[in-house]
Amino acid sequence: MNRSFRLLAALTCIALPSAASAQAITGSISASADIATVFSFGTPSALNFGSVTPGTGATASGYIPLSRNVGVIYSLPDGATTGQLTGPAGNLQPTYTCGVGSTNSAIVNAFTSCNATGNQLTLTAPASTLTEYVIFNGTLGAGQTNIAPGTYTGTIRVTATPN
Amino acid sequence: MTPRAGQRALFALLLASCPAIAGAQSKQTVSINPVQNLAFGLLLPGLREAVTVSDASRRAVVALSGNGPIDVTLVLPNALETTTGDRIPLSFSSSDAALITTSGSLLKQLDPLQTNRVQLGNDRTVLLILGGTAITSNATRTGHYTARVTLLATHPGT
Repeated sequence: MNRSFRLLAALTCIALPSAASAQAITGSISASADIATVFSFGTPSALNFGSVTPGTGATASGYIPLSRNVGVIYSLPDGATTGQLTGPAGNLQPTYTCGVGSTNSAIVNAFTSCNATGNQLTLTAPASTLTEYVIFNGTLGAGQTNIAPGTYTGTIRVTATPN
Repeated sequence: MTPRAGQRALFALLLASCPAIAGAQSKQTVSINPVQNLAFGLLLPGLREAVTVSDASRRAVVALSGNGPIDVTLVLPNALETTTGDRIPLSFSSSDAALITTSGSLLKQLDPLQTNRVQLGNDRTVLLILGGTAITSNATRTGHYTARVTLLATHPGT
């Protein structure tokens, strides 16, 4: 046997134990997270017609913010009496324009109706979490305000359903 | 038998004797048993959520047992993902892993970003714990996100 062959054989033998035990032992664990649905109303800003001189008109605007990362369906559960005011002379129904805007001052997507039941506006899921504003602009005609003095109050109820 | 045939026979004999040596080294055994997953839980979009190694209910826990020194390497994911490909980036810092006893005492701080030498002894079980940080954005969609952390253990010098 020549010298180089013997050396190769010896080196092979030395190297083999390492090769035999070189396998790594592996284990694995999972990592996880769940992203929550964001869907909540914020603090509303009330419509306030202020002190109205009988026989004159008045306007007011109000809004309620909604934060969401899913689609939404807006509806008005009170229908025809949405935002109706009640006071000493009985009921007072302002006329409204209403809808949703990206700011609290301008309606971008109008409701189909501001005084009807049923779904009034459906919006898809946004690309990212956003806050939008449900805005109501109310008007009292001059002919409606020549009534008994006092405080007239009401509630605008808006239902938002995740979609 | 020719001289060349004799060389081959001797070489084969040498090779046949080697597994015995390899078998002697394989007594340095180690076992890896996942105990608890790294669970960030319910997150809101647009927030960083860190799970520290001291967060017993949410950190990952892996039981290691065996004998001798081992080198532990963690293959860390870059992100949690949904089945539809939405991602939440993950980050790991040098203080996001540790080795503790089964009773919770700290044995050694580990750097999950590097290979760590761990000494096992007398088949005693020790726990490797791992935290991390998930970074959501406002654009992170609702859903269930997962990833896999792989742990590799090798005996030094192999």
